[in-house]
Amino acid sequence: MPDFFDAYFAQQIINGLSLGLVYALVAIGFTLIFGILNVVNFAHGEIYTVGAFAGLLLIVGAAPPLLAVVLFAMAVGAAAGVGLERLAFRPIRRFSDEASLKSRAMREATLLSSLAVSIVTRELMVHFFSGEMQVIPQAALLQEVIAVGPLTLTNGNLFIFGASVVMLGGLQFMLYRTRVGLSIRAVSNNVLGARHVGIDTNRTIVATFAIGSALGAAAGILVGLYNGNIFPYMGFAPGVKAFVAMVMGGLSSIPGAVISALLLGVSESVATDFISAGWKDMIAYGLLVVTLIFFPQGLFGHGRERV
Amino acid sequence: MALLEVRDVHVAMGAQEILRGISLEVPERAIVAVLGGNGVGKTTLMRAISGIYGIKSGEIRFDGREIGNAKSHEIVRLGLAQAPEGRQIFGTMTVRENLQLGGIAIPPGETAALLDKSLELFPVLKARLTQKAGSLSGGEQQMLCIARALMAKPKLLLLDEPSLGLAPKVVKLIFDLVKRIRDEGATILIVEQNAKAALKVADTAYVVEGGKIAVSGPAADLARDQRVIDAYLGGHAKGH
Ligand SMILES: Nc1ncnc2c1ncn2[C@@H]1O[C@H](COP(=O)(O)OP(=O)(O)OP(=O)(O)O)[C@@H](O)[C@H]1O
Ligand SMILES: [Mg+2]
Repeated sequence: MPDFFDAYFAQQIINGLSLGLVYALVAIGFTLIFGILNVVNFAHGEIYTVGAFAGLLLIVGAAPPLLAVVLFAMAVGAAAGVGLERLAFRPIRRFSDEASLKSRAMREATLLSSLAVSIVTRELMVHFFSGEMQVIPQAALLQEVIAVGPLTLTNGNLFIFGASVVMLGGLQFMLYRTRVGLSIRAVSNNVLGARHVGIDTNRTIVATFAIGSALGAAAGILVGLYNGNIFPYMGFAPGVKAFVAMVMGGLSSIPGAVISALLLGVSESVATDFISAGWKDMIAYGLLVVTLIFFPQGLFGHGRERV
Repeated sequence: MALLEVRDVHVAMGAQEILRGISLEVPERAIVAVLGGNGVGKTTLMRAISGIYGIKSGEIRFDGREIGNAKSHEIVRLGLAQAPEGRQIFGTMTVRENLQLGGIAIPPGETAALLDKSLELFPVLKARLTQKAGSLSGGEQQMLCIARALMAKPKLLLLDEPSLGLAPKVVKLIFDLVKRIRDEGATILIVEQNAKAALKVADTAYVVEGGKIAVSGPAADLARDQRVIDAYLGGHAKGH
């Protein structure tokens, strides 16, 4: 096998891992919220878009260092997540006993209310920014090429790697070593038990939305700068991919979602060798269907292990 | 003034009234038992006291404060913890995490000492700290549930059927611990189906029927009360 093929293949794997890490950041938000409320948050893709736009506005306004842009996007994302919870989730959560918090009625109602918030948010962005791609200042783009032997990486690859690993590590630390994290896991595991030990479940749910949304927003701005395009509809595809990763991972397992997201990213990247780019979204749907048929509990599922 | 005073409390679920004017008192450092058949409203009462359910009318005073419609997390912070029906432990989390969560309402600096104290009362948990709580035996889970409640440093500990489904030996162990917890300074309100065992440790007892108190009095008197014996002690508990 010629040398260049291996290098090319390695290149695709690296690109796939970057893509997968981004899916993972988005999937974590889905997974955390599903874990705690048993609902799918349809507006999560818009949080990603909001993060990208927030970052862009800051870049255009102040041209700060990249880290500040990401932190700002995360802060705006967290605030948007809190607002989303207030608007689409809390009003429907009228009773807070264990039966109604995760009830089917609640699930169906929030499906629609989060979808509504998602549509309104997207259309508002179209209204204010138009549906077109935004021009990103050249200096802010993460497309600077860095050659490592036969591989061509960009600083975007490296930044996505670094930032994602830090965020995933931080999340794990938060979930296992802090009181907020313990509370999130406790509410996910047993709401009634959580209330009996004195956890403020509403506050914990808000914290979950803030954290999940901050990660989703970070993914949005990272991808925006890496791909060089930011537009109101950009959240849809990664939202779908992250959703698939969550299902593949067993719905409420964070490690499961992260591994599935990486698998999905790499499959998409490698598959573009064999199929045309326009068909690459089929990979996600294909994996989803295969998972649902052969592994209804997810690829790693004992099923009910949450967060 | 009693540590806990429940006055004419009504609780409704939708249109159905489940507690229909319940009153009871729990004096400081007492063990008070609440007895009654299935579905009479014992758990509803416990949940109302803990703030899991709101009350429709009446009042609940704890330690001089009105808590009738306080939030559950505020109530735990006032020093009222519960080992609830069905245990409600965090099955996918470790025993240590369960205990840490029990102490989530108190300042972080105090939890280490409380953990030591809980483990001293429940030494079986010591060897199992890193084990998933869901993999404990029923008796161990019940002990974890009580130990978790003690982590909140409660002045008043509510126990909802701690002996349910346990072997007689374990039941005895749990009741011995209940006495010990009281002797160390806590006050206890305990719901039990096992009326015989409950009346043995309790100072006073209340019998609930249809969302109201039907009989109440010193536990020793109730243990001799023919109506209580017929209804809850299998009709042949004389001489106890
Ligand atoms: N959330 C709820 N919604 C509707 N009805 C409820 C609810 N909780 C309790 N009930 C009803 O209230 C009544 C009293 O229930 P509760 O659990 O308080 O009984 P209990 O005395 O604890 O019984 P057991 O000894 O079987 O535990 C029952 O008829 C029950 O069906
Ligand atoms: Mg009950």
